[in-house]
Amino acid sequence: MDAEPISDALVRRLRTTSGLTADEEQAIRVLPVTVRSYGANQTIVRDGDRPTECCLIVAGFCLRAKTTSTGHRQILSIHIPGEIPDLQSLHLHELDHDLVSLTDCTLGFISHIALRELHRRWPNVAEIFWRDTLVDAAMFREWIVNVGQRPAPSRLAHIIVELRERLRIIGRVDPDGFEMPLTQEQIGEAMGITAVHANRVIRQLREDNVVELHRGRVTVLNEMKLMELADFDGRYLHQSPSL
Amino acid sequence: MARFHFHIHEDGRRIADEEGQEFDDNAQVRQEAVATGASIARDAFITGSARRVVVDVHRENVPFLKVSISLEVEDQAAAPSRPTT
Repeated sequence: MDAEPISDALVRRLRTTSGLTADEEQAIRVLPVTVRSYGANQTIVRDGDRPTECCLIVAGFCLRAKTTSTGHRQILSIHIPGEIPDLQSLHLHELDHDLVSLTDCTLGFISHIALRELHRRWPNVAEIFWRDTLVDAAMFREWIVNVGQRPAPSRLAHIIVELRERLRIIGRVDPDGFEMPLTQEQIGEAMGITAVHANRVIRQLREDNVVELHRGRVTVLNEMKLMELADFDGRYLHQSPSL
Repeated sequence: MARFHFHIHEDGRRIADEEGQEFDDNAQVRQEAVATGASIARDAFITGSARRVVVDVHRENVPFLKVSISLEVEDQAAAPSRPTT
């Protein structure tokens, strides 16, 4: 498989968010990547695993989650092409949560050895990846505020708007909407509510003419209402090198 | 496996569950109904959109279980003299 398309979403994202230069981009593009295909709902890296490679999402959606001893799963984050959700495994050797495919996925695995070599030769790329994990942490802080403080309709609106702002960076938002391939049960697991309550919230957002969520796709019905409900301030995404 | 529908009542408003969900264990249905009621009631009570939430569960379109949650707030301070501290 040609090396170029594998890193496309990643370099596109890093160019926009972190000012990746052409030389640095080339250094990322020539990284040795092993491509594997996954079906939906497969665990890619499990809580307790000690991975020797990091996982770049080439196509499809993934999620990170933790499950309590009573079997309740909390979805912690949703991941899109161009992201490396387990970049932390380069420094934190034992994974402390699960990385799971949400849809059919094409994943590119980059060995820790290759990443370390990249970082030694290109210190600025190491800084950009460091920055990336800090933004990851900022997103988790926002997720905690969202789950802990916003009522369910606002909570879902916030998740929808954040996903859109991230998909926009990789050119995956159409004029008529974007993908959000979560089932009602998974939306419930992300929001910390039951699937039935999630269904109730999705219906309310549609009936209130805010947003339509249907078959894994989002259509915004009223942009102003959506932004107001979401209480969204995108600074925490740091989507420009100056932020 | 049976299909269960969780219809929600918030005060007078009824929100029908058209799709339903499959469960193979009655205890799971009960747990889902209670958790759903508690979670919807939390939002409704805090935002003030309703004071009573009912989860009306039907199994294969026959009534199966009803969970009702009501908000009762009793104001116990004497009306004219409000405490100053």
